[in-house]
Amino acid sequence: MGPEALAIVEAMLFASDAPLEVERIQEVLEASREEALAVVSALQAQYDASGRGLAVAEVAGGYRMGTRPELAPWLLKLRRAQLKARLSRAALETLAIIAYRQPIARPEIEQLRGVGAEGVLAHLLERRLIRVVGRKETPGRPLLYGTTREFLLHFGLRDLSELPPFEAPAEGPAASAPDPTRPSDDGQPEG
Amino acid sequence: MTTLETPSAPLTVRLEEFEGPLDLLLHLARTQEIDLARLPIRRITDQYLAYLEAVEFRHLETAGEFLVLAATLIYLKSRLLLPQPEADETEALDEEAEALRRELEARLAAYARIKALGAWLGEREAWEAQVHVRDWNELPEPDSLPLEAVSLWDLAEAYRRFLARLAEEEPVREVGPEPPSLLGRMAEILGQLEHSWYVFFTALLGASPPRAEVVVTLLALLELVRLRQVRAVQREPFGEIVIERLPRAEVSDGT
Repeated sequence: MGPEALAIVEAMLFASDAPLEVERIQEVLEASREEALAVVSALQAQYDASGRGLAVAEVAGGYRMGTRPELAPWLLKLRRAQLKARLSRAALETLAIIAYRQPIARPEIEQLRGVGAEGVLAHLLERRLIRVVGRKETPGRPLLYGTTREFLLHFGLRDLSELPPFEAPAEGPAASAPDPTRPSDDGQPEG
Repeated sequence: MTTLETPSAPLTVRLEEFEGPLDLLLHLARTQEIDLARLPIRRITDQYLAYLEAVEFRHLETAGEFLVLAATLIYLKSRLLLPQPEADETEALDEEAEALRRELEARLAAYARIKALGAWLGEREAWEAQVHVRDWNELPEPDSLPLEAVSLWDLAEAYRRFLARLAEEEPVREVGPEPPSLLGRMAEILGQLEHSWYVFFTALLGASPPRAEVVVTLLALLELVRLRQVRAVQREPFGEIVIERLPRAEVSDGT
């Protein structure tokens, strides 16, 4: 794969409105998976090394080109805009439960948080952050919920394994907070 | 009013700030630096109840959630039969109550972790919200769109939208507006004839008027003809019926 492949992948990522799976890149380049991954890594490294305004990140099972988060203040100034509305604490906690315990039914969610979850679940379904994945074979056959690809996109997660381990009470949220240099840590091989 | 055993507890707190009874319990334990694995039932029950008394519940459902935990705490406290010195944190319980207490402690610990993970997601969300990506695609659509899995929710949403559309159409067909009164319709027709000498009969009716409106319009016209306010002319069989205004001089007193 020569320097031309780098340009091709760059153009593909620029022109796409959703993360590109490595399979799609392979298809276009007519290359092996390893070759395609190598090109993406090289592109990532180039962007990071040259201090550009864009970065290539692995999100929701694909690669995506986006602006660097540090530059957000300037972009907001450009549009004279505010940051988008975020999810409520109730929604975040409910999502956390579903992300770790999926598939999970409403009664278990309510037991874990100690409050009713009907409204929150409706909101999360509407925003497509969760979906109904089936029914539980218990009396009443309650619906089972799971997270979606939209969930991974919303939180910029590669996949569910990027979530901190559930059983780690000693560690506060700050210890596992997002690493600002994450878009550049392509040195870590990810399975 | 109760006298608070803990003067440090702020009474001004709003319960809406807490995401439920476990959140409140967690808050109490944290501010008192209590070990979640060994809850001092007496102390935490008194504090919990003091909070509840200071709060006005707006929603019955919310109140219920908080009261269920209150009942559990009161029950546990009631099982501490022998009075013990306040300093003694090793409150002895019988087997059944001890199991209940363990369950509560486990729930509280699990909730503490969920709260931390929710906060982690929140930070992650804030970080990701700062990344801007292209959200439109200028490339031509692929020839074959891959079929995406349609979830039950998508179907339910489509069904809901369909029902909403049905509901919008329904009133027009079924619950028509009040038919206009005869006098009102007569005045309207005369009003239209103020500006022109004639008007087509069909123009007096809308595209698809309700039956009642057709009847009232016809009656109004007949009445106006009888009162010699207008006359109806048809130039050919099955042709347009033209309503013409009669000169005022010919108007006779109809009443």
